[in-house]
Amino acid sequence: MESKRYKWTRRAIGIVSLLLVAATVIFGLWITPPDVVQGQLVRLIYVHPPVAWVAYLAYGITSIASTLYLWKRTRNMKWDLLAASSAEVGVIFTALTLVTGSIWGRPAWGVWWTWDARLTTTALLFVLYLGYLALRRVPATSHQRAVRSAIAGLIAFVDVPIVHQSVVWWRTLHQGATVLNPSLSPKIHGEMAMTLLLGFISFTFVYAWMLMHRYQIAGFEQKILDIELDQILEERLHEPGMESMQVELSPDVEQIDRHSKV
Amino acid sequence: MVQSVSGGMGSDQPTDSGKPKARMLPSKRRSRRAWVALGIVVFAIGFLLYKGLGNSLVYFRTAAGAVRDRAQLGSTTFRLEGVVVPGSIHTTNTGVDFAVESSNVSVQVHDTANPPELFQPNIPVVLVGHFSGNYFLSNQIMVKHSANYVAAHPNRVATVNGKKL
Repeated sequence: MESKRYKWTRRAIGIVSLLLVAATVIFGLWITPPDVVQGQLVRLIYVHPPVAWVAYLAYGITSIASTLYLWKRTRNMKWDLLAASSAEVGVIFTALTLVTGSIWGRPAWGVWWTWDARLTTTALLFVLYLGYLALRRVPATSHQRAVRSAIAGLIAFVDVPIVHQSVVWWRTLHQGATVLNPSLSPKIHGEMAMTLLLGFISFTFVYAWMLMHRYQIAGFEQKILDIELDQILEERLHEPGMESMQVELSPDVEQIDRHSKV
Repeated sequence: MVQSVSGGMGSDQPTDSGKPKARMLPSKRRSRRAWVALGIVVFAIGFLLYKGLGNSLVYFRTAAGAVRDRAQLGSTTFRLEGVVVPGSIHTTNTGVDFAVESSNVSVQVHDTANPPELFQPNIPVVLVGHFSGNYFLSNQIMVKHSANYVAAHPNRVATVNGKKL
């Protein structure tokens, strides 16, 4: 069951997220000035880069959790569930990145979409993690699923630095990085920079809140699955003619079972 | 202890007669759906890699590079990049004429599409089209704005006595 501490932490993060997003909206729409070139279009900067950052962060967490599952000393089903939960939230934020980028691109660039390296690698990132989530649906033991998806999650993460560096490595329509540029000197006006930072913080809190919810649901799903499968096997063992059968599990299988329990 | 099999909740439950229920079918269907979904994803990855390798790596040629390779390019359609030369923009019946420049090499452009909202002198643009005579015939203008963000009216907020906050 959900501990009180977890519940209150999640609620507190939810409330802080709401307040920070509200502050970002107020600053982004009313307090910050328009840009000298882009005019009012610049206001999308307070949403688009922060949601992209959260997608990177989510996949980073997935990779760390996947590594912790693959490493035998730290292997625990919780890491697998955390990796999956974070990837799912990451996919939502990648979709938001693509949508907000497209909405910004139409008036600023003149097109909704173009096949430049930044956009293509971001679309690839989205599809790679959809693949990760699809792979988790392929029937397997909990342990097999966790190992498979951990490896897939780590391979997919290779695309994250490629997405970030694409504007440096190749010629793109997408502009270069404003904050994390090669010279590490943000080229953005003070009020705009502060609001952008606020956007990064607020969407990070939203991610944490979503992740906590999703992780809890993933835990419940796993428990239901385990209980139901226990019942099924129990029922089968009590079928006529099955009483004499003894199911002897090998040490390997027992180990797998131990990992499958949350 | 049981071995957990994540083939879907409630799959393969036995009936009273001991035979597996027809519920096996949904489980198989789910399995097939998962494989189909994975196949679609793999196809999508392949498609994106194909598009990416075909278009992204040499997304555009600079005006200077295109002029240098003009003989080789012929009338092939490609993307041309350059900065819009101030004073060169003239609206025509079919679109807009202007010049783009890179590394002190300029190219005259005859465009037949509506320029985007941010199209203006001194802004980098990427044009889709081909060389024709002395012109680059373009049917799409994309604005490549910079990563710098500068307040349009930095001194707009002031106190009652006119002093800047």
